[in-house]
Amino acid sequence: MPAAADLELKKHLAAVSRRHFLRGLGACIALPAFGSLASNRLVAATERALQLATTPTGAPLRTAFVFFPNGAIPQHWWPAGLGRAAQFNATLQPLEAMRQHVQVVGGLDHLNANPGDDGAGDHARGNSVFLTGVRPQKSATDVRAGVSIDQVIAQEVGHLTRLPSLELTCDATRASSNCDSGYSCAYVYNISWRSATTPMTPESNPRLVFERLFGAGVHGQRAAQAQQRIMSRRSVLDFVLEDARQMERRLAAPDRDKLGQYLDGIRDVETRIEKAERFGAGPDPDVETPSGIPPSQAQYVDLMYDMMLLAFQTDSTRVATFVLGHDGDNRSFSEIGISEGHHDLSHHQNRQDRIEKVARIDRWYVERFAAFLQRLEATKDVDGHSLLHNSRIVYGSGNADGNRHTHENLPVLLAGGGGGLLHPGRVVHHGGQPMSNLFLSLAEQAGVHQLERFGDSTGRLANV
Amino acid sequence: LGAFGRRWAALCLAMIVPGVAGAEPGAAEPGALAIFRTDIEPMLDQFCYDCHGYGSNKGGVVLDGFESDRDLRDHSLWLRALKNVRGGLMPPADQPQLPEAERTRLLSWIKGDIFATNPAEPDPGRVTLRRLNRVEYRNTVRELLGVDFNTETEFPADDTGHGFDNLADVLTISPLLLEKYLDAAQTIIAQSVPTRPLAVAEHRIRGRQFQSTIAVDQVVQTALDSAGVPAAAGKPMPQAGTVQGNALDLLYYAPATVAASYEAKHAGPYQVVVDLQTIERYADDLFDYNSCQVRIRIDGEVVFEQPFVREGYKMYSYTFDREWAPGRHEVVVELEPLIHDQPQHRRLRIRLAGATVRGPLPSEFWVPPPRYAEFFPAPVPGEPAARREYARERLKAFATRAFRQRVDRATVDRLVRLAEHHAAEPGSTFEAGVAQAMVAVLASPRFLFRDEGIERVPGERYPRIDEYALASRLSYFLWSSMPDAELFRLAREGRLRRELGAQVERMLADPRAQELVRNFTGQWLQARDVTTVPIESFDVYLRDHPHPEVEEARRTFRRIGRIDEAARTPEQKAEAARARALFQAFNRQPRPQLTSELREAMQRETELLFEHVLKQNRSVIEFLVADYVHVNERLARHYGLEGVEGDEMRLVKLPPDSPRGGVLTQGTVLAVTSNPTRTSAVKRGVFILDHILGAPPPPPPPGVPTLEEATRADGGGELSLREALDQHASNSLCRSCHNRMDPLGFALENFNAMGAWRDSELNRPIESKGRLVSGRTFSDVRELKQILATDHRQDFFYCLAEKLLTYALGRGMDYYDTETLDRLVQQLEAADGRLSALIVGIVESTPFQKRRPLEGDIAGATARGSAPTAALTP
Repeated sequence: MPAAADLELKKHLAAVSRRHFLRGLGACIALPAFGSLASNRLVAATERALQLATTPTGAPLRTAFVFFPNGAIPQHWWPAGLGRAAQFNATLQPLEAMRQHVQVVGGLDHLNANPGDDGAGDHARGNSVFLTGVRPQKSATDVRAGVSIDQVIAQEVGHLTRLPSLELTCDATRASSNCDSGYSCAYVYNISWRSATTPMTPESNPRLVFERLFGAGVHGQRAAQAQQRIMSRRSVLDFVLEDARQMERRLAAPDRDKLGQYLDGIRDVETRIEKAERFGAGPDPDVETPSGIPPSQAQYVDLMYDMMLLAFQTDSTRVATFVLGHDGDNRSFSEIGISEGHHDLSHHQNRQDRIEKVARIDRWYVERFAAFLQRLEATKDVDGHSLLHNSRIVYGSGNADGNRHTHENLPVLLAGGGGGLLHPGRVVHHGGQPMSNLFLSLAEQAGVHQLERFGDSTGRLANV
Repeated sequence: LGAFGRRWAALCLAMIVPGVAGAEPGAAEPGALAIFRTDIEPMLDQFCYDCHGYGSNKGGVVLDGFESDRDLRDHSLWLRALKNVRGGLMPPADQPQLPEAERTRLLSWIKGDIFATNPAEPDPGRVTLRRLNRVEYRNTVRELLGVDFNTETEFPADDTGHGFDNLADVLTISPLLLEKYLDAAQTIIAQSVPTRPLAVAEHRIRGRQFQSTIAVDQVVQTALDSAGVPAAAGKPMPQAGTVQGNALDLLYYAPATVAASYEAKHAGPYQVVVDLQTIERYADDLFDYNSCQVRIRIDGEVVFEQPFVREGYKMYSYTFDREWAPGRHEVVVELEPLIHDQPQHRRLRIRLAGATVRGPLPSEFWVPPPRYAEFFPAPVPGEPAARREYARERLKAFATRAFRQRVDRATVDRLVRLAEHHAAEPGSTFEAGVAQAMVAVLASPRFLFRDEGIERVPGERYPRIDEYALASRLSYFLWSSMPDAELFRLAREGRLRRELGAQVERMLADPRAQELVRNFTGQWLQARDVTTVPIESFDVYLRDHPHPEVEEARRTFRRIGRIDEAARTPEQKAEAARARALFQAFNRQPRPQLTSELREAMQRETELLFEHVLKQNRSVIEFLVADYVHVNERLARHYGLEGVEGDEMRLVKLPPDSPRGGVLTQGTVLAVTSNPTRTSAVKRGVFILDHILGAPPPPPPPGVPTLEEATRADGGGELSLREALDQHASNSLCRSCHNRMDPLGFALENFNAMGAWRDSELNRPIESKGRLVSGRTFSDVRELKQILATDHRQDFFYCLAEKLLTYALGRGMDYYDTETLDRLVQQLEAADGRLSALIVGIVESTPFQKRRPLEGDIAGATARGSAPTAALTP
């Protein structure tokens, strides 16, 4: 454990985060000054810390995966041309000011989302293949996907931070009924999978995200509250572990799997307690606790992005996923004058008015993303670079063309500088490679070296 | 393994474990293929192979080419065949039909030879270890501790399968959820179990108990029209506030003075805590710049004063220390508008949650905290051994209820140790120790999961679940909650199974049976979803009442709205203003809107129909055809029914020619099967096939657009539904499935996406007549409902039995459930379709009463002292 350096980092981050840098929903304030931190201290971090989720300057290297629903209208999404001079089209226009921080990544596929013997269900697969790269078992009850790339990274680097990973979603309401062509709804609402059978349930309420990260109550009391809450979990652990052991003895294999999820969770709690002891009281950002889910969709999305930003800025985690809406999402966008459901519209019958509307929804999502990147860029990290410079944010969808349910040439952006390891500011086309290849490269950059294959990968993606 | 190999394996096992030979249900008699070739294949050849043999594979179904017994025993293939033949869907209506005798022979061959079901002892299947879902957790905690813990906001949503959120296989525990379980356990116990024998006395005055000090005749409610148009400027009239649950809401825009008093018995230091919340109604891009001053007075003295602007949804708590003499003391909250002439877009309010008076603070005045006697009914003994015994008694009683089963001594010992350890910490108490042990109970897997014990019955192949497990199965099925004292008593005495019928009757009469109504209809008919399904009332209305001028105005307004305000030309501004005025004038006229109140009434309607059929012991056919509806004034008006007044839902007899009655024409079903701006005949057809007839169509082949998505042959304009139907009918790929769903959906086209009646859409008259795949024709939805209730009575029985059994067991249906479902449908039929017969039938059925054993069970059974009996997994 990189104890000394890490602790130093934590302390500093805690101090930094106490500054008031967010004001109200989705707003951002100027950068806090960071002159005081001697960078050589960071560089002096142990070798292991340098390798794992750490930038060359020794700052934390953050990785996030953001999922948007129903693909994007290809002719409006893809820029004209390649390289640095490419012209952004309508959908990516909102990113123009941030273009030097964004890589538009073409030519990546998720062939396992295509129909195979399992037939229909492109939306369920669009979600569940997105970060796993494997074909999920088609069933309403026998749920089996694969470990997702965020979890692969979190399992390696999660010990460095208070939370191994953070899962967010803006799917606050869920329909009952069957989800998509015989797939369990577990495939539809989760993109992050800890194991083939355990999805990492995302959190939809920004208040709960905030309280989980920093504690409940008003600023000044949260850190102590959070610490107290984590430590109080300890008293019951011995008892419940013994209970679980007694139960396990008389269970059959499928039951043991369920109980195993419980035990995995208990182990995570134990780890959190250890970390709480080691790291001491956590950060307590001087912002107000969100009161819940805002009524406006734009505010909701912005606020969830803010939660991710806070988590990254305070180094509470280095790995996050965010579902803006599940594939097949049919919400309407009256905020931008579109009454029809998104999914309904995405099958546009090649009618111009419908295509335009879908493109405007695609663009709306990009606007929110661009605003998030701007806030990341405006936030200075411990090494003096911006938070965006030290991040890798994959933004994409499980469908390419929502109208035809294709999964080749997926709309994918890779934002951030990866601490200098990435080469943003370009449009790149990889000519039809598995998306999993990109994941393999990202995992390696984060210090996950022993991973030779992931999902349907055929090798590491070069030129990122 | 060939047939020989399998038989050999069975024989080997039979030698090791007595009592198994010949009983393995999965192994059909040798030569199943031979029997198939001689008895069954000729029949299939004649009636099925045109489409499902000789290389044809319509719908992906192939019924020839089997090369071995193993090949033949494809359970899912034959289950599909069985359902289609039983439901009369196959062979199709326009093809030669199977003679009755052949049909019967085919069905019994599938059940006997392929599924190898044993009618005398059907395979009960096995439910995986199931955790409580959000609803069950909340209800269980309420029953156990009297705490309403809002799992809907605190826990992440449960995943679902087969449309239900209580299926064991799909309910998982993520690390996030586990953390929440541990924290919830702390919170719940902290809210209920006192940790000290004495504490400062507290008196809560609820917001709604605050009285206005203004004379009643002076009070005029501030008027606000629904569009949020500003109320008349000038001096605002005083208000009395509006009661919201336990709270009192005060608008920013009008002065208010409300007061409550407290009678102090003793002199001494007190604390007064006042809880406020700011509230607003969300309005798109419209802000509300009004503000107000809030003042709090205690006994006339101003103790707090602060202006409030729009604050979002925030909670405030203010504490004041007072030195009081005995006698009456008054807390006054005053609101004075500061800015009140701005548009009142957001209905800004101060919500007065209440005030708490604490005191006198010195310890000589302390009293036992609330609920103390409930958890600690006897005085805590001073002597250590007696103390320990007391802790043991309290914790054993609690753990038994919480785990819903007997708790062994070792477990209680561990709990007592935990309590004593905690109580010994500095500043802790005996009560705090017990409370901490209770936290551990709520965090235990034995609380979170439904751990079922089994008991062997001599001579029976499958073990029964024990009486405690049976009590839980009953209570979670009928109440979505834990067993109550009576169920526990019967289980303890071993009498529950004997008194099952009386218990089911008692439980269904209990108010907690509302949970079955709410959760089952909420999911079977998706009634839950109506509260959130995105429907744009305005667009839906415009489709039925086209108004080109208004639509143009809206487009103009939106188009100009996208231009940056500073960049707009004067012409554009004028155009936008004109469009806005026109649009707003139209918008002010009353028109049907799917408001949250209306959605709620719809959900209640669906629940009330189910409840009515259940409580009045009526036929489930009334779900399809009924001459009554449950409505309140709002919903009645939406349905075009007259003479219903008030908010209360009630049963209303329908006029003889009414198209309503039954679930298909309820607002819930009609709305949840629609897109935000329009109906979807396909979704509605699929809904009927899946949720009413139990024959969901296979999903569309990949790459095939659904009905609304089909492109017009001439490349322009929107297809009318009829045109789309014609397109489907002319394309054989579409036809085989859409012939089944489209006509069903078309029959409902007279109901728009909000569930309101209409005669035309986009100025085209609605045609609701159609022809079912069975060949039956109907002219409108009334006739369709009659056909469903008569011709498809049995299909509906099967469908409902399948859904309710899935819900009751918490697992999906499989081929081995065929026998149970057959029996349930027979029971329903024999009882003239009465819902109670189905519920009793399910409770008495093998899969509800028994469990397929696995090796783990044998160990468990041994541990419990029962004789081990081996069995093979089919």
